[in-house]
Amino acid sequence: MTFDTPASLWGLLAIPLLVVLYLLRVRRRPQTVSSILLWQRSAPTPAGSRPQRWIERSLLLLLQILIAAALVVGLARPAVVGRAPMGGDLLLVLDASLSMRARDGAPTRFDQARAEALDMVAHLRRGQRAGVVLATPRPLLLAPFTRDSSRLRAALGAASPWDTAGDVAGAVFFAIAQKLGPDGRIVVWTDAARGPLPALPRVVYRRLGTSDDNVGITRFRVLRDPGGTEALLRVQNFGSRDRQVPLEVRRGATPIYRTTLSLAAGVSRVVTFPVAGAGVLRARLAVRDALPEDDEAVAILDPAPLPSTLLVSPGNPYITKVLALLPVARAAETRSVDPSAWAGFGVVILDRVATGPLPPGNYLLIGTVPPNLPISASGLVPRPGIATWDRADPVLRFVTFDDVRVDRSLALAPEDGRVLAEGQVPILWAYEGQGVRVLLLGFALGDSDLPLHVAFPVLMANSLAWLGGGGSEATPGESVQVPAAGADEAVLTTPEGGRLGVRAINGVFVLPPFTHTGLYRLAGAAGDRWFAVGPGSTAAGMIRPGEVPASEISRAQGRGARVSEALLTRISLWPWLLLAAMAAALGEWALATRRPGGDA
Amino acid sequence: MATSLPPDPAAPDAVRAAGPEDDLLDPGFLETLERLSLVSRRRLRGGQRGERRSLLRGRGIEFADHRAYEPGDDYRYIDWNIASRLDRLFVKLFSEEEDLNVTILVDVSASMAAGTPSKLGLAKHLAAAIGYIGLVNLDRVGVTAFTSAPGPRLSRLRGRARAADLLRFLGGLRPSGETDLGRSLRRLLTDAKRRGLLVLLSDLLDPRGYAEGLRLAHHHRFQTFLIHILAEEELAPQLGGDLRLIDVETRRAVEVTVDAEALRSYAAARDAFFREIERFCFRYGIDYLRTVSSTAPDTLVLQYLRQAGLLR
Repeated sequence: MTFDTPASLWGLLAIPLLVVLYLLRVRRRPQTVSSILLWQRSAPTPAGSRPQRWIERSLLLLLQILIAAALVVGLARPAVVGRAPMGGDLLLVLDASLSMRARDGAPTRFDQARAEALDMVAHLRRGQRAGVVLATPRPLLLAPFTRDSSRLRAALGAASPWDTAGDVAGAVFFAIAQKLGPDGRIVVWTDAARGPLPALPRVVYRRLGTSDDNVGITRFRVLRDPGGTEALLRVQNFGSRDRQVPLEVRRGATPIYRTTLSLAAGVSRVVTFPVAGAGVLRARLAVRDALPEDDEAVAILDPAPLPSTLLVSPGNPYITKVLALLPVARAAETRSVDPSAWAGFGVVILDRVATGPLPPGNYLLIGTVPPNLPISASGLVPRPGIATWDRADPVLRFVTFDDVRVDRSLALAPEDGRVLAEGQVPILWAYEGQGVRVLLLGFALGDSDLPLHVAFPVLMANSLAWLGGGGSEATPGESVQVPAAGADEAVLTTPEGGRLGVRAINGVFVLPPFTHTGLYRLAGAAGDRWFAVGPGSTAAGMIRPGEVPASEISRAQGRGARVSEALLTRISLWPWLLLAAMAAALGEWALATRRPGGDA
Repeated sequence: MATSLPPDPAAPDAVRAAGPEDDLLDPGFLETLERLSLVSRRRLRGGQRGERRSLLRGRGIEFADHRAYEPGDDYRYIDWNIASRLDRLFVKLFSEEEDLNVTILVDVSASMAAGTPSKLGLAKHLAAAIGYIGLVNLDRVGVTAFTSAPGPRLSRLRGRARAADLLRFLGGLRPSGETDLGRSLRRLLTDAKRRGLLVLLSDLLDPRGYAEGLRLAHHHRFQTFLIHILAEEELAPQLGGDLRLIDVETRRAVEVTVDAEALRSYAAARDAFFREIERFCFRYGIDYLRTVSSTAPDTLVLQYLRQAGLLR
């Protein structure tokens, strides 16, 4: 119950005053009679003290109190939430975070959320619209507004949480943007485990979950450096009690690392150990907790994760040396421009060589502009400088151009694609389309001191990785584009064994976002490609339910109320209280006047 | 305190001209009363010759009986005719014509002011009527007003000529004070030299009870006629609500909430009170008449008192 003017409730203090006045008032009217003899004889139990009379008095007082209370509470404009009258649009938002897979629901939080959502769908009024949004890292509209409840049920039935943290707040704002009709409501099922959620007038939150008992792997990678290859694994105890966590890592069926970690509440530990050879590494925590999904992780031990590379150049010792250092599958070098020879390489580096139209493939262009790209060059620009660059782009990850000097650069004029770095003119440009994936550097390496900076090998590694379709590591929610290498279609096999056909678009397989951790396989004409999808973020393993903003309904229903009550609408109670007061007044009057010479 | 008023010429007109108290008896009613007389079921000896027979046998003119002669009897009353026939001595007994000693007790306590007209008003009417009937029949009439003790008294009236005194006396009575019937009767009967007819006009609403006084009258061999006068509001109170009822005499109070059930309870107590009085009167040979103050006095006298055997 809510009150529009709760200050009016101070009027309830009048009730004790009423009682006091009742007690203090002169109750008996003096009446002189000729004799009290017969009255004394008639009242072995004087009427005034008979129990039923006392009760009658109390009833009168009670009715008066009820009248006063009803009037005062009515002035406070109370309201409750009722179910039937609600008929606006309904948007059901389900948190699809990894934490929603915790087994403290029925059986999981997500299952509970889905069941409640299905219950709401079952109680929709005839003609009422509803939709379903899944709060993944990017909100997914599983079912736009529809009156077809079977479609809603199908969408809810197909929904499942991802193995990463969902953007619940983003999903809420996304839902707000869906143009709810009048009286429309958004119902959000979430455990609110990752930070505050927006308190919005038409949003009702249903908080799920009770447990925080989780120990999980939050990072599992294979790191390479000239000194060797080692695996990095981070384990975090998200719970509130200390844990002893046995850890085992296998390559295939062979255990390669085993230890027991002592983890205090809320503490994480990182372990590293050397690995060698090739294969799939599987790490497993032997614990029992509410979220077993993050107790396992995979990583691919690939000695050559970067694609095979052909360098077409009149001679560039910097690139030659870098290719020798990087874990490319194969490196070759040629001075002749023969596109027919490029098909066998994952990436072709064209260094200051003129070429005709590029055939489909992946290219790193240095100081040259082929004719079939949406970019042109009009001369050279001296000392263009590198003022800005996109640090978030995977190509420029860990790359800094702060002290890089460029003597001259092509005056690039892109018509499409994206500029990754620029000074007076674009310096680094990326393009995907027409069957090619291109990264274009506007200046020759000899015209700058870039090869002398640590950024150069990093840039080369990133570039080859991006051009080759990225590395073999990914995180849930990440969408990967893989060069098709001339193939038209491929099959993506998920960790659960599901198979999904993927068609090449402009020479690129655009894979759907990875939803779960584990090993994915993309099988195509050009061969198989493996992706180890590991833990996305540390926050994903946080399962301790947080606080949700109190909505009107949750305030009215109390914590823990079923969100199916969101179908309820606000009902003002003051007219009923006024009627109750009038009825009580009538009752009091009738009761008082029933007795001859009553008090009323 | 005894009050003896001077005699007044005996005539209805004189009675009527006595003052404001002439409202007690109108001339037509007086003429009716003159044809009535008081009835004594017992032979009650008066002090003077009257117009009724006495149980005292002896010097009267009307033969009553014979009895065996005993030494000391007056020779004049020996029936010599029987002595000659039976050779035994019998004396003749005569019933003596005596007056009736009529004592009228009027309750003038404050409670007698209740009713419309008041209970005291009716009591005064009745006392006037009964007293007048006694006077015209040469009975000896005394009237005593009592509260907690015998109050103003008018005694030893005899003859029609004292009717004005009677009415004046009654007209001057005002209700006040507290009832104590037992004490009043004890004092009155102690002072009484002769038994006779005792007419008690009261509401009997005496917290000390009525039994002691009436029992005393019985023991003094008075023929008692009790006229119990109540007001309508005492029979059926028109009260309601939460009240603090204050006794007009004792000023004592009782708190009651008068509702239907309380009124039913009151009626039950009232009826029980009446039954109790009736049983008491039957036990002690007391004539009892209950009436309400609104009853017309002439109806009461001419109809109910005759039916009850007080008048004929």
